[in-house]
Amino acid sequence: MSRTGRHWPWIAAFALAYGALALFVDNEYYQLIMTVVLVWAVMGLAWNLLSGYSGLISFGHAAFFGLGAYFVALIQLTWGISPWYGIPLAALLGGVAGLVVGVPTFRLRGHYFALAMLAYPLALLYVFEWLGYQEVAVPMVRDAPAAYMQFDDGRVYVLIGLGFVVAAMLITRLVERSRFGMCLLAIKQDETAAEAAGIDTLAWKLRAIVLSGAMAAAIGGFYAVVQLVVTPLSVFGVLVSAQALIVAMFGGVGTVWGPVIGAVTLVPLSAWLDAEFAERLPGIQGVIYGVAIVGVVMLAPEGLFWKVRDVVRRRRTASARTESAAATVPAAAARADGFRVADVRTGRTVLTVNGLTKAFGGLRAVDDVSLEVRQGEIVGIIGPNGAGKTTLFNLLNGFIAPDAGEVLLDGRSILGKAPNRICRGGVGRTFQIVKPFRRMSIADNVVIGAYVHAGSDDDARALATAAIAAVGLGDAAESVAGSVSNEQLRLMELARALASKPSILLLDEIFAGLAGSEVERLMQVIRGLAALGITIVIIEHTMQAMVQLVDRFIVLDHGAVLAAGPPEAVTRDPAVIEAYLGRKWLEDA
Amino acid sequence: MGCKAAAGDTRAGCWPMQAGNVILGAMQHRTGRATRSRATMRERLVHRALLLGALLVTATGITAQESVKVGVIVPLSGPWARAGEVMRIGAEMAAEHINAAGGIEALGGAPLELVVYDTGDSVERAKNAAQRMVAEEPDLVGITGAYLSSFTLAVSEVTERAELPMVTLSYSDLITGRGFNYIFQTSPTGVRQAEDAMPLLVELAERSSGTLPERLGIVMDSTAASVAFVKPIQEGETLDTLGLDLVVDETFTPPLANATPLIQRVRAMRPDLLLLLPTAISDSKLLLEKMNEFGLGQGRLPTVSNGAAMGDPDLAANMDHALLEGVMTTVANWAVAGQDEIVAEYIERSGEPWITQNPLCTYGHVWILKEALEQAGAADRNAVAAAIRSMDMTDGPARLFPGGRIRFDEFGRRIDAELLVVQWQDGVPKTVFPPQAAVAELIWPSR
Repeated sequence: MSRTGRHWPWIAAFALAYGALALFVDNEYYQLIMTVVLVWAVMGLAWNLLSGYSGLISFGHAAFFGLGAYFVALIQLTWGISPWYGIPLAALLGGVAGLVVGVPTFRLRGHYFALAMLAYPLALLYVFEWLGYQEVAVPMVRDAPAAYMQFDDGRVYVLIGLGFVVAAMLITRLVERSRFGMCLLAIKQDETAAEAAGIDTLAWKLRAIVLSGAMAAAIGGFYAVVQLVVTPLSVFGVLVSAQALIVAMFGGVGTVWGPVIGAVTLVPLSAWLDAEFAERLPGIQGVIYGVAIVGVVMLAPEGLFWKVRDVVRRRRTASARTESAAATVPAAAARADGFRVADVRTGRTVLTVNGLTKAFGGLRAVDDVSLEVRQGEIVGIIGPNGAGKTTLFNLLNGFIAPDAGEVLLDGRSILGKAPNRICRGGVGRTFQIVKPFRRMSIADNVVIGAYVHAGSDDDARALATAAIAAVGLGDAAESVAGSVSNEQLRLMELARALASKPSILLLDEIFAGLAGSEVERLMQVIRGLAALGITIVIIEHTMQAMVQLVDRFIVLDHGAVLAAGPPEAVTRDPAVIEAYLGRKWLEDA
Repeated sequence: MGCKAAAGDTRAGCWPMQAGNVILGAMQHRTGRATRSRATMRERLVHRALLLGALLVTATGITAQESVKVGVIVPLSGPWARAGEVMRIGAEMAAEHINAAGGIEALGGAPLELVVYDTGDSVERAKNAAQRMVAEEPDLVGITGAYLSSFTLAVSEVTERAELPMVTLSYSDLITGRGFNYIFQTSPTGVRQAEDAMPLLVELAERSSGTLPERLGIVMDSTAASVAFVKPIQEGETLDTLGLDLVVDETFTPPLANATPLIQRVRAMRPDLLLLLPTAISDSKLLLEKMNEFGLGQGRLPTVSNGAAMGDPDLAANMDHALLEGVMTTVANWAVAGQDEIVAEYIERSGEPWITQNPLCTYGHVWILKEALEQAGAADRNAVAAAIRSMDMTDGPARLFPGGRIRFDEFGRRIDAELLVVQWQDGVPKTVFPPQAAVAELIWPSR
């Protein structure tokens, strides 16, 4: 997906070419296949909108498809309501179904989500059997067929189908290039990081499944109109969900064109194989079809679209390399001031923790911790491995809920709030193991963080540019996050956190894996942020670098606060030395 | 050559030859005119028309001697492929028999030609195949198929619009309940089977055992066929009229994992008659094995199924014959007395141990289309459809269908369609009712 590329002329060109081709096709069979291609293209696009962008693989899109199909068929059968009204209503129903499915199912992640989704169409299949809808036929209307979307000329169906495809592509495109799509992509790559960056992941996922369900149900309704016969297996069957997934995976996931490419290739291929081999070698068509899919998936695991794009781009970059060297990167002005929290250190208490406790089984990871952080301070939380430092951060930004205690941000409790809410409240964080959105550029990574307080997408971009400049990463802004150095990733995460305009930054072992000079540069950046009045809490288990950076240490051991105070005092504290080095060193000291 | 291209010679046997000469003549004529370069536009048009006329003559001349195409659209791939395969064999046998006997007399002995299409394993594929058939074979005059009623529904949506008559064995009432004009159903519909079956069974029980059954049990799966069969029995007045008490009414979703609770219930409630309606072979096997284990099998409890599945050769191949002994099923068609030759030929060609409803019906359907062609006197689909609508036959193919008469009502349902009762005896399902069709004596189990 290129952010700058214009898609709509291509979509228009595709629609015109396909429509023109359809007008010249007399053979009704080809007209039917051309229609079915479009049905599966839209179904693929619907699946792609949720699963392709958010990475939450759905094996259950047949649920929406089937509801739409049965709805349109049944309301015409029972009340004589035309599909012209039925299909838009089916879309509404699909949206509601998306919400009903999404609310409980989004509690699950990864494979669990995929498997749970599998259950919905299977359950509906049996429900519709139980209701006695084993076979529903859309009544033939002989008086005013067009009013009921019934046409003698198969080309009309192709054109209606084309309308659905164009609409689905435009919707997908709109989503893709907006905050909606960016947030879904962020969720796909790292849901935890997305949540920490202030994205309300549940809300975005729900929006995606509602839209996706609506699209799938609408095209399911159209499918009923085309096929005229609806059976539970033909609309709720596993093959329906699989077909949606296959056309999208084959053509390319997470792009407007992928599902269309997949449907345009695979549906006619399958039909041709049926026509060619079914009489002589019945069943062989399935084998060839399967082998073709396996072959493409092995050669182009991300789908045809991405494979082709990569080849084209490689060629283009090869020819454009000389130019790009000469092209000047517009120097982002250091607008770090935009992140200023306060001009002077007020000494006001920003963060108050009282009696915070969290146990995992018998292990008290955080044990009755109380501390205060004042505005503008750089506080180092240190302690040996396993002292409970990261758990403390996870409690502070809402990833896990404490067993006891309270956390106050600017005097207000933030306990029990979702991480994205806490982020909005002004708590930014980075991770011990960097969590970049790997397929996005550095700039896009930071934009995700900027959505929190940006009114428009342009504001977010400006904010991101400023944050990138503030951490000194301007040169690498357009590099893909998966390809840059560890130091740049650390800076990127810092910028992403900064872009959410935090009043307090939680930095989890931000120096891990960095060489001496890199540590030095990063410390300069952090000092710069502190100078803007941003309060900084750093976790580290080595003291060396920290001694030069922090105003105050809090030492954790076995989940409890062991000591607190200025660096000179803490480093001489016998208890600290014992915790770090053992009793023997204490005697030597 | 016996045919000189004399003007006015219209002897049928000479059509192609004559037509060819007309074309040749017309072309020579035209070339000659062109070289003289005096041809007016009008003359050219006249010559074109001549040429076109010649081509038309050729075309009609060829159809008169060429084969008449009949379609067979059945599942040849996927889970129902075997059923489709034996239906194809049935259709092929019929075409061969018809052609061996001189083809379509009314069309100058034109032979029948079968074109076969695969519905695949889904409604979508079935519809695609039907659309392809209609597009690729514009001169089809009629078809038969498509095994599953959902496939038949989808296929007939296409054939109805193409005004192509379709003869089917599928049961579903919906098939002939849509106001279609080109669909003909030779089996009793599902509802009718349900309405007919219970009085028939009660009568059989009384006739064979001397006592009326009072307690009925139903154990069924949730598939379309079973539900369609049982619903009218449960909801109608059949049970009251017959004085039957429904003591067991169990539905399971296939595949069945454990038949014990179902059969335990049957044993506890002691029905006099059990309707056992599984569809999958594995479910039938589990249920019958469990019945045997509980002392209800092998004829101790009169057990009746519906449909051809309970008489399928695969069932015998997958379980002990003894467990099937005495089990009955009501079917729309089966081998009856007097069909030995057809049965023997079918067994030899298919390698199956006996003929079932599906190939037998398909065999009959091709014959119905043949008779319709004879009546229509033209290889035209609309004429064939009209002929089927007005058909009333009691001989020939009519003997291939229970009830012995072929005439259809305004919905396309065969008016005289009847059920047969088939019973497993010595490892083979044999027609036992009605008496004139029976190939074996009914054995009514008595406890």
